[in-house]
Amino acid sequence: MEGHDVAHHGGAAGHHEWEVSLWPLLLSVSVLFVLPFPFALYFVYKSGLLAVLALGIGVPLLTVSLVGWVSEAIKGRNVNSVEQGLGTGAVPFFIVAEAFIFAGFLAAYWATRLLAPSWPPAGTPHISMTIPVIMTIILVSSSVTIHFAEEKLEHNNVSGFISWLIVTIVLGAVFFLISAYEWSHLMGAGFTFSTNIYGSSFFSITGFHASHVIVGLTGFIAVLIPALRGTVSKNFVKSVSVYWHFVDIVWFFVVSQVYFW
Amino acid sequence: MSAPAQAGFGKVLKEWIFTCDHKRVGILYLIGSLAAFLVAGLMAMLIRVELSSVGPTLTANPGTYNVWLYFHGAAMILGFQIPALTGFLANYLIPLQIGAKDVAFPRLNALSLWLFWMGIVLALLTFVIPDPPDFMWTAYPPYSIISSGNTAFYTFTVLIMGFASIAGGVNLITTIIYMRAPGMTWSKLNMFVWCTFAAFIVQLIFVPVLGTAVTMLTFDKYLGTTFFSPGSGGDVLLYQNLFWFYSHPAVYVILLPFLGIVFDVVATFARNRVFNYKAAVYGAIAVALMSGEVWIHHLYASGMPDWIRIGMMISTILISVPVGVMMISLVGTLYRGAIDFKSPMLWALGCMFLFLIGGLTGIPNAMSAIDLHIHDTHFVVAHFHYVMAVAGTFAVMAGVTYLFPKMFGKMCNEGISKLGFVVTFIGANVTFFSMFFVGLQGMPRRYFDYQQFPQFQGLNQLITVGAFIMALGFLIVLISWIHALVAGKKAVDNPWGSRSLEWTTSTPPGPGNWAEVPDCTNFDPYGYGSNK
Ligand SMILES: [Cu+2]
Repeated sequence: MEGHDVAHHGGAAGHHEWEVSLWPLLLSVSVLFVLPFPFALYFVYKSGLLAVLALGIGVPLLTVSLVGWVSEAIKGRNVNSVEQGLGTGAVPFFIVAEAFIFAGFLAAYWATRLLAPSWPPAGTPHISMTIPVIMTIILVSSSVTIHFAEEKLEHNNVSGFISWLIVTIVLGAVFFLISAYEWSHLMGAGFTFSTNIYGSSFFSITGFHASHVIVGLTGFIAVLIPALRGTVSKNFVKSVSVYWHFVDIVWFFVVSQVYFW
Repeated sequence: MSAPAQAGFGKVLKEWIFTCDHKRVGILYLIGSLAAFLVAGLMAMLIRVELSSVGPTLTANPGTYNVWLYFHGAAMILGFQIPALTGFLANYLIPLQIGAKDVAFPRLNALSLWLFWMGIVLALLTFVIPDPPDFMWTAYPPYSIISSGNTAFYTFTVLIMGFASIAGGVNLITTIIYMRAPGMTWSKLNMFVWCTFAAFIVQLIFVPVLGTAVTMLTFDKYLGTTFFSPGSGGDVLLYQNLFWFYSHPAVYVILLPFLGIVFDVVATFARNRVFNYKAAVYGAIAVALMSGEVWIHHLYASGMPDWIRIGMMISTILISVPVGVMMISLVGTLYRGAIDFKSPMLWALGCMFLFLIGGLTGIPNAMSAIDLHIHDTHFVVAHFHYVMAVAGTFAVMAGVTYLFPKMFGKMCNEGISKLGFVVTFIGANVTFFSMFFVGLQGMPRRYFDYQQFPQFQGLNQLITVGAFIMALGFLIVLISWIHALVAGKKAVDNPWGSRSLEWTTSTPPGPGNWAEVPDCTNFDPYGYGSNK
């Protein structure tokens, strides 16, 4: 095929190539096999086997397309300068959208809570107030450490940057583990998603926040691996750390509303 | 095409399917949204045939009718109008109008496109599965939770398409902010760019809330949470509030881009500046800012204290002020213009007419004292079809006809195009104007039969006839496009004599749009010399 490189359709812009990538299409197809198909097969059609089969197609496809996408982006780093510089410009808008997901969940929580005859509703066990305080301290410190890391990077101190980044990742991971411990503890005490409206709100909101912690940590690891090999994209670091601060700020809402109110 | 081009067929195919180019992404959006439009239109015809006579006509099973209603609504709004306006038109036009080589994140753009297509696939699969959703596109609980219909297919369609919308919105907002050509200041942007920018801001804020609503719905139905079940401390009206908190602003996600393209078409064919450009821009921004304070008018009949009803009545009517400002700008652009009635202009003028009727009939809907009586009647159906569905579709048609030469390098036959417009316009008005009357007489919406009220049959038959005329009109439009693709005259770079930047490219534009990024220091998209 490459041998028959034909003239382009647009004469005036002839020196450009049409930009193509296989990965967006493949990633989209994989999404069908990772989310709606297994969910519907398992929960609607009660077929665990078919659900696993769908995941068996979806997960490898998803992995391949993500890896393909990232490696293509790394290779094209110098060619496509546009895609590099604007990431930091786009992140705030993504965060606005994310914030409104939390706003939706919190508004629902406020509405049901203010209309409830008594609070907490029957069936709610005692929820420890020490754990959220510890979690808050950990998450706030991780926001501070990533700030230190960025400062090191500003002074081109890459090894200092890497150390503070690792500290941040560890703090984030500990936060997530405590959250998981708390979940299993509460579920062990018979408090679940379906116990009452507080259970529904509690697990949805904290679970959704925890999923953001995971996304942030993934971003940090995506910074760390190339950094260990000596390449750091300051724009990408900036984007991930802004996202991490957002996760931190949202936690204040979660902790003050869901635990301490 | 020469011989080497034949050999390169595989390469051309690859360059389309794996494309990251904003123009091709836009055209693929158009194809997907037209597919949704065709199937949703077919559902509309089934609905109209069913209602054309008292008693069961096509089906004796109300559940089947519910599935048609579900698909018609969901596909028209999520599958056709939003992607046709914010996917196709915005992707194709914005980089060309601001002088950018592409959008900020071309691969992310392709991801949005294909996720939208996956949403279409998921929606179409509802025809294959044994338990299609049967709860309208609104999916109100408790019915959507107790129904045997597959709620998961609905909610995942919304989530996947919603993510695609957000990613597309972030992409184009970033593009507009950071990628304008040198000299392209904010005050030189086309109305379409401004309006779409405002629409994307609306999307960023409100789509996530719909996401939370359908997520909670999924959890309630399949994981046993109790967000919407009053028995366990939940609240049924919570869903309606979250849903309309998004879905009323969704009207502006459709309205703003469609007014934007109508502005550009009208300015081009009236050879005139946009009248009161600044006020129109502020109007678009005001609509975006105010879009979040009116949703409760959908719940007048669901029950609320009177002081909320009155407050929401005022806030709803208030938003017609900035919309009115934009409308005055449109009419003012026509004033003393040298109007050229080419087919894109006809669609744009038709859109203005339909939108005006829809807007004016919105006022009685906004008044709670009237709305309590006409709520859930065909009056409401007629109103939102005029203001959003048909007016929006006319704007999409205006956009496609306007950009057709640029996209495909071929001219549509004016005769066939105009015939298509006239037939559609007549059909749309016969259908929906009659619907106001049957609604005022009390014909409820969403019923598959009206055995107790045989007096409604006459008007219903008229509506059905109108629907068939409209369908014929769209068929003629489709024929005009296919005819143009096969046998159309070759288009020049600027067939309409527009001053907008998109017409300075070659036809059709190649990768990168321009050989050099254009210098826009002395550029004026509406510099027609009059009204200055
Ligand atoms: Cu509304």
